[in-house]
Amino acid sequence: MLSRVAASFYWLSRYIERSDGMLRMLKINYASSQDTIQEFTWAPVIRIFAGQGEEETERLDNNTRAVLKYMVTGKDNPNSILNIITLSRENARGVQEHIPKDLWQCLNEYYHTVKDPKIEKALQREDPIGVLDILIKQVMLYYGTAEITMERGEGRSFMNIGKYLERAIQSVDILDTKFGSVSDNPDLLTDTSYWKHLLLSLGGYELYLKTYREGFEASNILEQVVLNNDFPRSVIYSVNNIQRYFDRLKNNSNADDFRELSFQIGRLQSRIKYSSVRSIEQDGLHQYLTQIRKELYGIGNALNAHYFANS
Amino acid sequence: MQESGYFDKYSPISGVWDEMYGADTNVRDHYRKVIEYISGESADDLNKKEELAKRLFMSQGITFTVYNSGEGIEKIFPFDIIPRIITADEWAFVERGIKQRLTALNLFLKDVYHNQFIIKDGIVPIDIIYSCPHFLREMYQLQVPYDIYVHISGIDIIRDYDGTFYVLEDNLRTPSGVSYMLENREITKRLFPDLLPQCGVRSVTEYPTILYKNLLALSPRQISNPTIVLLSPGIYNSAYFEHTTLARLMGVELVEGRDLVVNNHKVYMKTTTGLQQVDVIYRRVDDEYLDPLVFNPGSMLGVAGIMGAYRKGNVAIVNAIGTGVADDKAVYVYVPEMIRYYLNEEPILKNVPTHQLGNADERDHVFQNINKMVIKKTNGSGGYGMLMGHAATEQEIEEYKLEIMKDPRNFIGQPTISLSSAPCYMQGELQPRRIDLRPYALYGPDGIEIVPGGLTRVALKEGSLVVNSSQGGGSKDTWVLA
Repeated sequence: MLSRVAASFYWLSRYIERSDGMLRMLKINYASSQDTIQEFTWAPVIRIFAGQGEEETERLDNNTRAVLKYMVTGKDNPNSILNIITLSRENARGVQEHIPKDLWQCLNEYYHTVKDPKIEKALQREDPIGVLDILIKQVMLYYGTAEITMERGEGRSFMNIGKYLERAIQSVDILDTKFGSVSDNPDLLTDTSYWKHLLLSLGGYELYLKTYREGFEASNILEQVVLNNDFPRSVIYSVNNIQRYFDRLKNNSNADDFRELSFQIGRLQSRIKYSSVRSIEQDGLHQYLTQIRKELYGIGNALNAHYFANS
Repeated sequence: MQESGYFDKYSPISGVWDEMYGADTNVRDHYRKVIEYISGESADDLNKKEELAKRLFMSQGITFTVYNSGEGIEKIFPFDIIPRIITADEWAFVERGIKQRLTALNLFLKDVYHNQFIIKDGIVPIDIIYSCPHFLREMYQLQVPYDIYVHISGIDIIRDYDGTFYVLEDNLRTPSGVSYMLENREITKRLFPDLLPQCGVRSVTEYPTILYKNLLALSPRQISNPTIVLLSPGIYNSAYFEHTTLARLMGVELVEGRDLVVNNHKVYMKTTTGLQQVDVIYRRVDDEYLDPLVFNPGSMLGVAGIMGAYRKGNVAIVNAIGTGVADDKAVYVYVPEMIRYYLNEEPILKNVPTHQLGNADERDHVFQNINKMVIKKTNGSGGYGMLMGHAATEQEIEEYKLEIMKDPRNFIGQPTISLSSAPCYMQGELQPRRIDLRPYALYGPDGIEIVPGGLTRVALKEGSLVVNSSQGGGSKDTWVLA
């Protein structure tokens, strides 16, 4: 497979996964903002997904409709759904002949849906949940189509590596931000709706209820999001999948490149696998997550250097 | 025959050959079935079909992007739902004509890059060749596989007021539009269920298969699975949709210049598992951008050293380099002579009478009759830089004349041909619009094959004679009957 093509697969997939995470986050936070008597703050969401300076974050913070516009259809926000789906589609366009036609049409329709001026208007005037659901459905169509139509080959491996890398980074960022807010404001520790919304935005609420009987405990949430292999958005689940799909790229002609990356992925996998909630708390959650994030970025950079460099 | 509203109201343009109506305003036989079908549809039905066509083009990404104030706006190539129909006899004639013409043009290219008998015998003047920017000395004495230069061509054919077919230009470099021929047909199948088989319309779907077979045959390495690639300038090229379509339909790799590298006079592509040798390149990058070491040094679209690999015979390039010398509009004038010279036959398809403005007498003639003339640059394309004498103002004509006098060799003049018209569905009714036809011919070791069909382009503006997509033209599905 051409290096450029592999890189495009990887990126188109990362962007789609990012859009999925963002849309769910926005949906739950919007719902939460309707439930809050005191002023609702969007700052954590903006920090996680838009990486904006404090000034911009403050400007948007308490204005729900402005945040939605900025995050979904904002042309000047490089990380808005509109802009990342455009990028995802540009990547797909460059590898169109490697993607099943069904999948290309899916992505193309997702793009046209976000671009439709009706979406922006509805976000400002109508029920935002309805609008976000339309977009979430586009992502789900994409994932279903990819699952059914993608050839089980190298391309899909690069796609899945991109997808799970992005997902792991998101889960780490979300945990870090949410637990960071707790250390600033210890009252949140006992705020049930705070934890409930965190779990909902990761799609892990129902699993949590089934797994832990004693109500919302920070340490249980930490365990589910980092260490629970049955939770599809957990860090360990994502890293195991990175390992699994990377393993399929093993090939005689790239043995050295493979070995180097395989080592990095294996090291990260072990670091998480042999952690426990207690050991994480001893290390300090923030330090722990920072280290994981650094290693995830390291894997991305190594892929770039060893597999995509020729592109 | 009972005709419903659309056809009662249809009035062909007087003095113009209409593809559907004969001179005595009788419907031509080959249009009857379609008329019957469409007459049974309400305006609402037809509007829905138009909408469906637009939606299908959009959702499949069959679009080109217009950049406007920093924002890309995607547009579909306008499509008219009413097919253009060609009879079996008409097609047989066009097909024979194209094969004859291409055979001669190909012999001309071989000759001009080798012995140059045609120049020595005084048929084509030497200065016309040497002043052509597409005559490339790098190709001199270079042997190309099977002596085929033009593997893919899209010759533009028009009909005059009396229905005579003329060749307007020979597109022998990287002609585009074939994907629209294929997609238009797919869309028509959706718009008019069952109508194609009922009318006996011949299929065009073989095109990618034939092209692939021809590319495969050109591989310099005698191996079972040679690497064939389609070289595209990338996603910002206006024909990028076509590049991906062809790559997909043939199952070959779509590459950009940055994906390729030349080492030891061999071309490789950069893959995740190392370099892989490339055998055949169907390039959609023009000659001058192909190799920065030989041609335009600033080009980022090509591959450094590819010309060396080509000269060594380590890679086949399709179309061959330097074919532009045969579709220079100043050389076009001599094509009928070429047919007589190389094949000892009379040309089947006529040239549009053409005046070379480098020649003082002809220039005078053209200037005196400028209101009845179209003047073109010999190396222009896409309808840019043309002067339509009948539609230009005094001032435009004077300015254009000054431009011509700077370098008269670069211009030709042709009498305005009254392109034939065909019915188009516009604003709820049928209206005649001018059309041309671009069939696609594939020249491989087994000979020339032309899938029955082509791209019918339409001048959508009322009264316009310019069909180029860059000038607001659209297209139609083209039906060749069995």
